[in-house]
Amino acid sequence: MTSARTATRLTRILAMLPWVIANPGATADEVCTRFGYDDRGELVEDLNMVFVCGLPGYGPGELMDAYLDEDEVVVDMADYFARSPRLSPAEALALLAAGMALLSAGHGPPALRSGVEKLQAALVPDAGDTLVVDLAEEPGLVGVLRDATAAGRVVRIAYTSLRTGHTTERDIEPWAVFSTLGNWYVTAHCRLAGGERAFRVDLIREATVTGDSFEPPATPPPPEIRYTPAPDDVHATIRLGARARWVAEYYPVEVVDDDGEHLTVVFRASDPAVAGRLLLRLGADAELVDGVEAEAALHELRGAILARYHGDH
Amino acid sequence: MAGVHKVIERMLNLLAFLLTADRPVTAEEIRHTVAGYDREGDEAFRRMFERDKDLLRRLGVPLRLEATDAWEVEHGYVVPPDEYQLHDPGLDDEERAALWLAAQVVRLGGQPQGPGAIFKLGGAPLAATGEPLSADLGADVGDLGTAFAAVVERRTLAFTYRDRRRTLRPYGLVHRRGHWYLVGEEDGRDADVRAFRIDRAARLRAGDEAGAFRRPRGFDPAAAIPEAPWEAGGEDVEATVRFDADAAWWARRQLTRDDEVKVDGDGGLEVRFTVANPDGFIGWLLGFADRAELLGPPELRARLIARVRGEATP
Repeated sequence: MTSARTATRLTRILAMLPWVIANPGATADEVCTRFGYDDRGELVEDLNMVFVCGLPGYGPGELMDAYLDEDEVVVDMADYFARSPRLSPAEALALLAAGMALLSAGHGPPALRSGVEKLQAALVPDAGDTLVVDLAEEPGLVGVLRDATAAGRVVRIAYTSLRTGHTTERDIEPWAVFSTLGNWYVTAHCRLAGGERAFRVDLIREATVTGDSFEPPATPPPPEIRYTPAPDDVHATIRLGARARWVAEYYPVEVVDDDGEHLTVVFRASDPAVAGRLLLRLGADAELVDGVEAEAALHELRGAILARYHGDH
Repeated sequence: MAGVHKVIERMLNLLAFLLTADRPVTAEEIRHTVAGYDREGDEAFRRMFERDKDLLRRLGVPLRLEATDAWEVEHGYVVPPDEYQLHDPGLDDEERAALWLAAQVVRLGGQPQGPGAIFKLGGAPLAATGEPLSADLGADVGDLGTAFAAVVERRTLAFTYRDRRRTLRPYGLVHRRGHWYLVGEEDGRDADVRAFRIDRAARLRAGDEAGAFRRPRGFDPAAAIPEAPWEAGGEDVEATVRFDADAAWWARRQLTRDDEVKVDGDGGLEVRFTVANPDGFIGWLLGFADRAELLGPPELRARLIARVRGEATP
């Protein structure tokens, strides 16, 4: 019942009242713009709620005054709401981290730097350097891709597949450039594949902006890396030891058993090599319980690597 | 709509009462004094009051339970006005708008932030972002918020990490290479400053006492975070790796300044690394599959082969 929208609405009221108290004579339009009210009607609805609230007794002497006087917003008898509520730790962190991340990547206007500094001084008064935020270092091509995205220009890229090591040349229509979990990606319509693809920017060897333009989709998909299950996906059931339990948090797996020590998960991927690589990396910390394709992929990968070390047997 | 209005009005009355009470007030007193609760039965009141407390805390309101008298027989609720109020950083409209835009572009754990925080800071005319750039710093906001609060308020932080319960004096919080790290010293241990990955820490709980420790003077949390995956750990091994020509460009992009690089005639690379964490290093190297070879030292080479064969390593 108390949804996120109720929380946001209550927060807005608790923040709007002190601002009006501190800025007597403020107009309804000013308050609407500043606090994101779509129209006067929405503001009046909130003021009407405040108007019937106050301190026990709830008579004319105890209730708050809140109404529109022509154009002017009037709030009175609400001294206890004269100051805005403090930020929750999560709110403070989200604002600071976002600001610091953009600054670390060399973005953001000067107002962002001074805003972050003021916020930091107010929230962490006793020690400045308690929070450090770096975005994943921006590969050189991010700038080129971002400009092409903004201008709606087709880009020709040489892209190397992590799995096969093969490099292909393709024309892409870039939609968004973003960073997540330490890597930079570009989502695009790939003309070679004829569909939506996400490319890791550090695996793009070269990128050249072509003379071709494109019309971006009206609503491009949200910039995120997601795994879409498909019917012909490969399944592998993997038993994870204590040192490999983190896998369950990193990959979209289904946990089928947890005996406290071992965690058994079902891992799905469109390409068995992905499961093979994961198993190789985990070594003795994981055991493949079921999954012939993953087994074969692991076997192939092992064979190829051991062939390079054959003298050591 | 009427339901939402009722909730908001009740919350405004509750908060007004708590902010002016100047003493702990019991749930029973709230029930009979604050408008909006009076008509509810026992069970309905209990559930409603639980939800309301939860909502206040989510808003960042410092709601605490304290003894109503010296004998500590009865407990009541307190919202100290000086803790409730924002310590106003004095931002101007431009700064608020810039922070708002940043929070739209850089997200924590998927969800872009709502405007609540900017409203609390005084509001600003907000524009939608048209920037074709975005970033996600990952991690669960709840855990991060708990960790950040502990750092700021200098509370100890207990959590489970690699199956062991630990208590840390958290000195700082760092985001690096896509991961959040909590940096600090373990309580009661004469240990070095260490970094813990937050996504691997479970059941975070901050201590009751604020100001429980002092941060070392001139402390730099970023210094405790390794530059590359193989730089965290206690060992010190010189390793040499050959990367094939078709993987060389990708290897080169991941090297740090300290790695010594030699280019072969055919475009391949020979690189010398100083390895502090052999397991992490081998894991990274395996990402190159058969397009890289660990040339030495022999012990490390044996360790890699054992790992590839799926044999247990120490």
